[in-house]
Amino acid sequence: MAFFRLDPDVYARHKDEVLRLCNSFQTIERRGLSDREIAERLGLDERTVTEIRVVAERDCYPLDEWERAIEFKRKACAEWSALALKRPDLKEP
Amino acid sequence: MTFPANATKHLKTLALKFGATVVGVADAAAFDAHAPAKHRPADLLPGARTVVVVGGAQPRAGDWVATSPWLLSTMGTTERIQGVGRRLAQAIESELGYYALFVPPGTASGDAPFLSLMLAAELAGLGRRSLAGPILSREHGFMYWSAVITTAPFDVDGPEDEPACPAPPCREMWAREGTTPCLRVCPADAGGCLGGRLDGDRAVRTVYDAARCNTRVHTHWVGGFQKVLEETLNEPDRERRKMLVYGDFMTRTLWAITYSSTNIAQCFECMRVCPAAHGLKEMR
Repeated sequence: MAFFRLDPDVYARHKDEVLRLCNSFQTIERRGLSDREIAERLGLDERTVTEIRVVAERDCYPLDEWERAIEFKRKACAEWSALALKRPDLKEP
Repeated sequence: MTFPANATKHLKTLALKFGATVVGVADAAAFDAHAPAKHRPADLLPGARTVVVVGGAQPRAGDWVATSPWLLSTMGTTERIQGVGRRLAQAIESELGYYALFVPPGTASGDAPFLSLMLAAELAGLGRRSLAGPILSREHGFMYWSAVITTAPFDVDGPEDEPACPAPPCREMWAREGTTPCLRVCPADAGGCLGGRLDGDRAVRTVYDAARCNTRVHTHWVGGFQKVLEETLNEPDRERRKMLVYGDFMTRTLWAITYSSTNIAQCFECMRVCPAAHGLKEMR
């Protein structure tokens, strides 16, 4: 059996819809659908949906977002330390 | 052989002895209304009747006020509470003779878990979902969770009536400023993950960007590794490739993913500012 490779065209065609239906962007109106449920809705097979979802979860944001995550945490953590310990000097400039 | 009348009490005593801070039992069938197929207890263990949930190993006051975010991301581990879950699974099989499946802490595919431990904790009456997302216990705040699916018919606990979130200081802040500590620190409409409101005394989450949250909770983890690997493969210059592969981001990521099933959380900022998660105990 050949290694399963997701067709990039299939990925590009369905990425946004799969992301909208799965659990990656949650709203209070509905729970995220399982891969099987999404497959039934989009007329795809479950394995294809799983691959689209897994790739899309990584593909949502560029690498720069990971750098922003580091900055966010550094700043938020310093602000909390400054507040909790009553040490304004710990706050990042 | 009949099921011992004191089995549930004995199980809970064991859990606390093994190191759990809290323990509860959820009805396996109760997951059906909330979890999609393949993510329900009976999908993993046919004939499952109950799910035993333990919580604990929460960060200490010193961890919360540490000046480096990398401290909690190193200490934020499910390993200690997983050990309790594993020991309970062993006890259920050896002492009672029922199947007991320790819920794997990793993911079934992509970022989707085998079974939602948060849902399990909620159904076992150990806490309620907070506006920021994590389950909060009214007594103990933020905790780590582990669960065991079993065919044993333990007495089940119902969900808690009153949630810990929103805490009184958050309600006051909402009335005063129209926001809460978690919403202010990580707002979805300004590059963060969360959106929501307080509806009377009830917290209502309207937006959760799990993909962005993933870049923060798993910064130096599988996703980060894949992103830098992709960047490295696309970089034609050998020396520039070396800077990416040997650099701090990749090095820290490789340290983290070698503990990938236990060192699972690397962002705590919505919980760090949450009065219900840990309070702000005065320490000397």
